[in-house]
Amino acid sequence: MSVAASEVEQTPPDPTGKKSGFQLPGWAEKGVIPGVVLLIAALIPFIPAIGDKANLMQQMAVALAYVVMALGLNIIVGFAGLLDLGYVAFFAFGAFAVGWFASGHFAYVNDEKGIHFLVGGNALNLPGIHFNFLLVLVIAIVLTTIAGMIIGLPTLRLRGDYIAIVTLAFGEIIGRLAVNLDGTTILGGTPITAGRQGISPVDRIDLPFLDPFTVLDKKPWYWFALFLVVVVLFVNFRLRDSRMGRAWVALREDEIAAVAMGVPAVKTKLMAYASGAAFGGISGAFLASLLNTVNADQFQFSFSILVLAMVILGGLGSIWGVVIGAIVLSIINNYLIPDVINGVPGDLGLDFDMTQITFAVYGFLLLLMMILRPQGLLPERRHKMELADHAETTDDNLYTARA
Amino acid sequence: MRSKYMAATGCLVAALAMGVAACGDEDEPTTGGGGGTEEPAAEGKNLTIYSSLPLQGASRVQTEALVNGAKLALEQAGGKAGNHTIKYESLDDSTAQAGSWTPEAESANALKAAQDEATAVYLGAFNSGASKVSIPILSEAGVPQISPANTYVGLTTNDPGSEPGEPDKYYPTGDRTYTRIVPKDTIQAAALVTLMKQDGCTKVAMTNDKEVYGAGLARVIELSAKEQGLELTSNDAIDKNASNYRSLAQKAKAAGADCFVYSGITANNAVQQFKDFAAALGADAGLYGPDGVAETGFVSEKDGGIPAALNKQVKVTVATLSPDQYPPEGQEFFTQFTEKYGVDNPDPYAIYGYEAMKLAIDAIERSGTGEKADIKKALFETKDRASVLGTYSIDENGDTTLTDYGAYGVENGELKFDQTIKAQAQG
Amino acid sequence: MEAASIPAGPPASQRIKQLIGTYGLTAVLLIMPVWFAITDLSDDGNLVRLGENLVAGLSNGAIWALVAIGYTLVYGIVELINFAHGEIFMIGSFISASLIGTLGLTVDSSFLPVFFGLVVALVVAMVGAGTLNVLIERVAYRPLRSAPKLAPLITAVGMSFILQNVGLLWKGGNQQGVPDLLDAQHTLVTIFGVTIENADVLSVAVTIPLLIVMTTFINRSRLGKAMRATAQDPEAARLMGINVDTTISMTFLIGGMLAGAAGLIYAVYQTTIWFFQGFTGGLIAFTAAVMGGIGNLRGAVLGGLIIGFIQQMSDNRIGSQWTPAIVFAYLVLIMVFKPSGLLGEQTRDAG
Repeated sequence: MSVAASEVEQTPPDPTGKKSGFQLPGWAEKGVIPGVVLLIAALIPFIPAIGDKANLMQQMAVALAYVVMALGLNIIVGFAGLLDLGYVAFFAFGAFAVGWFASGHFAYVNDEKGIHFLVGGNALNLPGIHFNFLLVLVIAIVLTTIAGMIIGLPTLRLRGDYIAIVTLAFGEIIGRLAVNLDGTTILGGTPITAGRQGISPVDRIDLPFLDPFTVLDKKPWYWFALFLVVVVLFVNFRLRDSRMGRAWVALREDEIAAVAMGVPAVKTKLMAYASGAAFGGISGAFLASLLNTVNADQFQFSFSILVLAMVILGGLGSIWGVVIGAIVLSIINNYLIPDVINGVPGDLGLDFDMTQITFAVYGFLLLLMMILRPQGLLPERRHKMELADHAETTDDNLYTARA
Repeated sequence: MRSKYMAATGCLVAALAMGVAACGDEDEPTTGGGGGTEEPAAEGKNLTIYSSLPLQGASRVQTEALVNGAKLALEQAGGKAGNHTIKYESLDDSTAQAGSWTPEAESANALKAAQDEATAVYLGAFNSGASKVSIPILSEAGVPQISPANTYVGLTTNDPGSEPGEPDKYYPTGDRTYTRIVPKDTIQAAALVTLMKQDGCTKVAMTNDKEVYGAGLARVIELSAKEQGLELTSNDAIDKNASNYRSLAQKAKAAGADCFVYSGITANNAVQQFKDFAAALGADAGLYGPDGVAETGFVSEKDGGIPAALNKQVKVTVATLSPDQYPPEGQEFFTQFTEKYGVDNPDPYAIYGYEAMKLAIDAIERSGTGEKADIKKALFETKDRASVLGTYSIDENGDTTLTDYGAYGVENGELKFDQTIKAQAQG
Repeated sequence: MEAASIPAGPPASQRIKQLIGTYGLTAVLLIMPVWFAITDLSDDGNLVRLGENLVAGLSNGAIWALVAIGYTLVYGIVELINFAHGEIFMIGSFISASLIGTLGLTVDSSFLPVFFGLVVALVVAMVGAGTLNVLIERVAYRPLRSAPKLAPLITAVGMSFILQNVGLLWKGGNQQGVPDLLDAQHTLVTIFGVTIENADVLSVAVTIPLLIVMTTFINRSRLGKAMRATAQDPEAARLMGINVDTTISMTFLIGGMLAGAAGLIYAVYQTTIWFFQGFTGGLIAFTAAVMGGIGNLRGAVLGGLIIGFIQQMSDNRIGSQWTPAIVFAYLVLIMVFKPSGLLGEQTRDAG
């Protein structure tokens, strides 16, 4: 919460003072409200009805990990306007950072004795490469940043939806590699990935000065995820309001004008990919450790679409909107559909198997939410102003907001 | 049939339009396994059996059969195990978004079972990869687990085909809680190879569906073929989303293959592969499949399976007995299943689901107390259990001791028991 | 190419880039066939294997081309990646398969009933799929016309989930066999050792006329002109008296009809259908549309055929588990050398 407080001092109050819709004044947006929300979020596990349910705590931790991921994608799509349909690639790299550097996967290294670095407890006795989780996070960030830049390079000359298909292609290629490289062995005979078998188990998070996290108590995992969210939110706000953030928006709004004004297009775009990717990597590494597996089945196109849906549903470019979008979709997927909707016919005494229409329920909810709130749950102010302007000047029957 | 589907579709639209409307009116009467749970037991406990299976996407056909089989078994037992009242709750370890099992759903299910005081047994997982996620959680919580479908070697033993550190790395506390009722891959692989040799195959082209089950089985088929002296011309991992496999089949023909074996499940485009390989290899070529394709949806043309013309070329192996050798309650299961679900011949996965639930009820009953630790003990002490799968015990690794496989031919679009194959497990 | 013909000529560095662009692209496209031609010649002494790959690629690619046109048409006019389009194609297949069953056509049916049955199925599948596509536009896209550009993308995804579920309930979760009416894998003729099967002829014989009719329609007819005008500038088109709503509906109708036709061909050609075929098929067709230059009809056809060739060569020689990765790698390479696709035009957004 100190994070949020420092934000208040650095950011002057919103000069326009224009309150339109959900737009809050700067001090509220970045200080008081987030502080209160985060405080409540941090205290939730102390409610026994919630904190004692490990599956609930885990689902909340997963939801927070998705928040981190959605915030990352928001930088690429929301801020910089580069439609990325292959975000799953960064999830994969983050997860493999854990699979490679914090598990018994490479069992043959160092004469089957393993390599250990800053780890304690159980992991010390296991073969394979075991690095401290914080170090793995750094590795994940480095890996995904590089991957982000590599994926960004071919898209530099592309515009509009051509970027979408090239990122989609990369996402699919990475997914294929994750599945198929279980036949290619390195480091004394271990395959690069474990394909659909999955690398499992992987090391649990073991932070300095704290007890190692355990399998059955998910509260520490939740708090760690919350900590990640706070850090990522802070970075996100700083990035948005930085020179780079303004350059992203300028490129998004009008690339030619921005370049003419001296915005370095290449560097700006690559930075967007790199920082968005890093968030995906952090979240991917956390999820791998939380879920105790790195399985190629996870890295599918539908995952990219899920994260993209979180961003668009929440409100493209709007940080708080994206947070809400990620939480809403996580709840729908992991709680509302399996635990509530699927139980409805049973509660009504009917023998109707809801799981056979889960696809349609999910699709219908997406459709409904988008039609009810086309601009997202909590739209970004800049987008909103644009929309309003257009609506005044042109026929709203036409494709006004396309630019 | 079609009108029923149309009704379902219409109902779906209606449900979407008005929230969740009453769509089940015309369905069969309520059948759920939880039927007898309302009344409190005299002195026994109220226990819950959870199953965690992917109910979305490609595996749905098999998991639906599994759940139906399990429900029927509980119904046969009157919702009771000894004096304990049993409730059955079927959990989904897939999400609509992914269309397949996800680690978050599987581990959430395992955690749910782990923290529920009333949990007696956890049936699952369906995918070996998912079991790798749930075993450590359930082992730590001491919840007995019965998988109705996992065949991956490394979950229970360090036999050939497993990876370093397996299986101990899945049981961090050293507490073995995981059992399974289907034999590991090694046994079925040996059975398939024996069958192909018997039928006079000399060069066999193999494809696998690249999933844990299919790829794992293919790997041990390779080992087994080498051991028994059968030549495999290829082991191609297929892309299940490919529209056809004609080029692949041409390659096999060019390599001189006279038989074809597919290692995978029906939903990974098995029918198309059998058609394309049959067309390429000719009408005399033998076509073989494992229990992953032993189901109506594969063998019956009218249910969308292989064309009738291929019937005589196809053989599959299943870990079940010939129906006439079933014990009495198995016979009863057979007729009841047919009655209730309108299928002449229950798919093997219905039988696996049935037997998994049967074993769970049996173990709870033998435990007496209904405590998790006692149920687990009883489970591992299962000896010479007469079942629809044959007579088996559970060994100290949690594996079934079954080694017999049934070889089935296809006649008029139905699986027809042919012979029993005694397979020797290696290692 | 255009730039090269300007007399003054661009600076040398620019020209080298241009050359790399043109020849690099050609090299990328030819690398697989040429390499396999060489290996075939050295191994077998003839090109039969490559020839068979190409024939199979042509007939498979023709189906993707039909689906890709739907993507390209819709994208050209509303700039929306219509993720539900693949599912329309799937529904087309399902309608045809059901109709084939209802009409009682089997493997043993004689030529005339099969021919007329298929014509009926073709018409019904096209009308059904086209109508469905129009309805989807009404329900899922039209309410979002003034929303941010990416909002309809999510409704499209939602729609595609719903249609997949309809398919799942309709035909179940497994692939469904369709009666092999035409004896699809029967060898019709052999030319220079390359066998041509019934299925190949069917696919090409239905696709080519449809493509010609459609391109002529869009290039010549009044409605076609309206479509192109709307694609270029909806506001101006409206001022010129074009009914934008009707034009958009017609575009979805035509796209859906082609997807329906592709659905029938797919069902009869592959003889297997699946509720999930639309997802994969849609992804491939979308790739084809972009590869050819999205918004460009001929480009979509070219892209579809190229992907057909790549898929068959890769299946036959590299291994089918790598096929999707190779298709996508090709796409990335083509995008690097030609950022607007093979025959790309300048669309409003990409301009």
